[in-house]
Amino acid sequence: MIGNKSIKMVILRNIPIILFIAIFLIFGIFSPKFISVDSFKNILVSSSYVGIIAIGIMFVLLTGGIDLSIGSVMYLSAAVTGLSVQKLQVPTVLAIIIGLGIATLVGVINAFLIVILDILPFITTLGMMVFVKAVGLLMTKSESVKLPKVITSMGSQSVLGIPMPIIIFAIIILFGVLFLGKTKLGRQIYAVGNDVEEARKAGIHTKKVLFTCYVMSALFAGIGGIISVAQIGIVNAAFGKGEEFNAIAAAVLGGVSLAGGVGKVFPGVVLGAVMIQMIQAGLVFMQTDLYKQPLISAGIIFLAVFLDSIRSKYIAKAEKRNIRNENKGLQ
Amino acid sequence: MKKRVSLLLALVMLATMFVGCADKKGEEGTSTSTSSSEGGSKTIALCTEDLETEFWVAAHKAIVDTLEEQGIKVIETNCQGDANKQLEQVKDVITQNVDGIIVIPKDGDTAVAVTKEANNADIPIVIFNRPPTSDEGANITVVCDNATVAEACVDYMVEEAEKKFDKTGEKLTPLIMVGDLGDPNAIARKEGFYAAIEKKPELFNKVIEVPTEWDAATALANLQSAVQANPDVDFLFTSSDFLFPTIQSVLEPLGKWVKVGEEGHVIMGGLDGDATAGELIDEGIIEGTGVQDVYNEADLAISGILDAIEAGETQPDEIREDPGFALTQGNLKEKRMDMWGNILREQ
Repeated sequence: MIGNKSIKMVILRNIPIILFIAIFLIFGIFSPKFISVDSFKNILVSSSYVGIIAIGIMFVLLTGGIDLSIGSVMYLSAAVTGLSVQKLQVPTVLAIIIGLGIATLVGVINAFLIVILDILPFITTLGMMVFVKAVGLLMTKSESVKLPKVITSMGSQSVLGIPMPIIIFAIIILFGVLFLGKTKLGRQIYAVGNDVEEARKAGIHTKKVLFTCYVMSALFAGIGGIISVAQIGIVNAAFGKGEEFNAIAAAVLGGVSLAGGVGKVFPGVVLGAVMIQMIQAGLVFMQTDLYKQPLISAGIIFLAVFLDSIRSKYIAKAEKRNIRNENKGLQ
Repeated sequence: MKKRVSLLLALVMLATMFVGCADKKGEEGTSTSTSSSEGGSKTIALCTEDLETEFWVAAHKAIVDTLEEQGIKVIETNCQGDANKQLEQVKDVITQNVDGIIVIPKDGDTAVAVTKEANNADIPIVIFNRPPTSDEGANITVVCDNATVAEACVDYMVEEAEKKFDKTGEKLTPLIMVGDLGDPNAIARKEGFYAAIEKKPELFNKVIEVPTEWDAATALANLQSAVQANPDVDFLFTSSDFLFPTIQSVLEPLGKWVKVGEEGHVIMGGLDGDATAGELIDEGIIEGTGVQDVYNEADLAISGILDAIEAGETQPDEIREDPGFALTQGNLKEKRMDMWGNILREQ
């Protein structure tokens, strides 16, 4: 009996992974080529940049905030990197550092406006979304910016058979997991997200926590931008447009609460980012009608979120029951 | 401290506004002075959707430069892809008593909505490059026949496919990268592609459709999946030239980004006629591209609006069509410099 219960709990806790595998296998039944290492590798490569920016925005979402400027930051940092090489003949590595520096600077400005001047995150980052994009367009004059071969070839380079975007994605995942799980500042982010006042009373420097989150969100957007452009090959003026919503969707699908305080990098956000890409890839593999693809994709995502919410309720109930039973046992 | 910083920020913002206004005043001053010498005191509003592709940038420049050369004051707005904002901007320019409006609409529905506003205000309006979804209201629609231009380009690709088929006896596997399904131009290009393909069905396997939503990242991910599922793709049409660098990212590692006639070459074509496509045709990587003649379209729009203003017509209603053409490896010598992308490259 106890064994059954614990099996149920194991299944409940792992519903997202089970669903992920089920979707993968279902697409595989309809299109056998889908179940292959290469196919999965491609899905991971394609979802790597969304995964990176989703991990970045997760820090902000965990605090109950939001960052709408990340799509524009992707554009600006990629454009600055390209222009630094093209116009100023800066070495590629330095150009990347400049691009990421610009992204970090945007994060610092966001953080300053939100944390120090107490302006609402939604308004601040919405304003920055427009401002940063405008700065980028002013610099490029809406023209496409070509990045040097060193960067664009990174999209197709491999180390020990593992594509470079996946390696960078894995490093970011590892960083996110360790930072949130093993560092004091990481754990404080959850505390601030659960209740900022309580966190302050508990002695947490909440401003420092919030500041860090907005800076990291922008920095990760910059990294995501470079990874994306390494694959696309060119920065056009539409680059990064709407990516903030893809990142938020991946994070929420991965179980991050928009109210703050809840969410994990792995499997959570990573699974969310990869699942969205896997569904899209599966539909292309199956050659589903173009008009039906968004409908099916949205349906599967709704199903995933619905199952996840049921799962969370069951787990919460089961845990309450366990605490009551333990208390009774103690009495 | 916080108050001081806020005050400082407010001052910085005010200063930015003043600088911006000063710049604008300068620009307007130049425009007005030319205006008094040549074109009277006409004011035309140019309401753009966004400036995110080379085509829109070239169209914007061609229209603004030509109007200003004629001494006409231009009021510009940019809705950054927001249909509601565009409608508000058109209402706004109407209150500024402009003599005419040229709109690059966000979509076909927005074209109908802005036409209605201009008609109500008795101001002539030109709808540029994106046709309205209904013929409600009166406007001058300047449009390229996307279906015909796409068909012309794919016709040439089919000719090349036929040569390959005759050599190998193997059917080709065609792939089309489809644009945003909400954009009538994307649909017309898809129709043009199929019209050409269906002339020689015996040459082809089933067509593979790849959605792009006019987004390079989406296009990349979906093309990678499509090519993996169908590694024998050897005939590729992109509904917009701006996706060629993305296509290169997918085909190059597979050894398929090679010149016409080389082993593994994929027969490729696009539509727009931008500088990248120009380069690729010159290099012999792609077979051709369908060209929307942006300069011709700009001329059609400007002459349309000015003729209406001169004639005192407040609700002109006509369609002015840019026939477009296909620039291919076959007609490169004669038509190379008719393509706007190549003109931009030369500049």
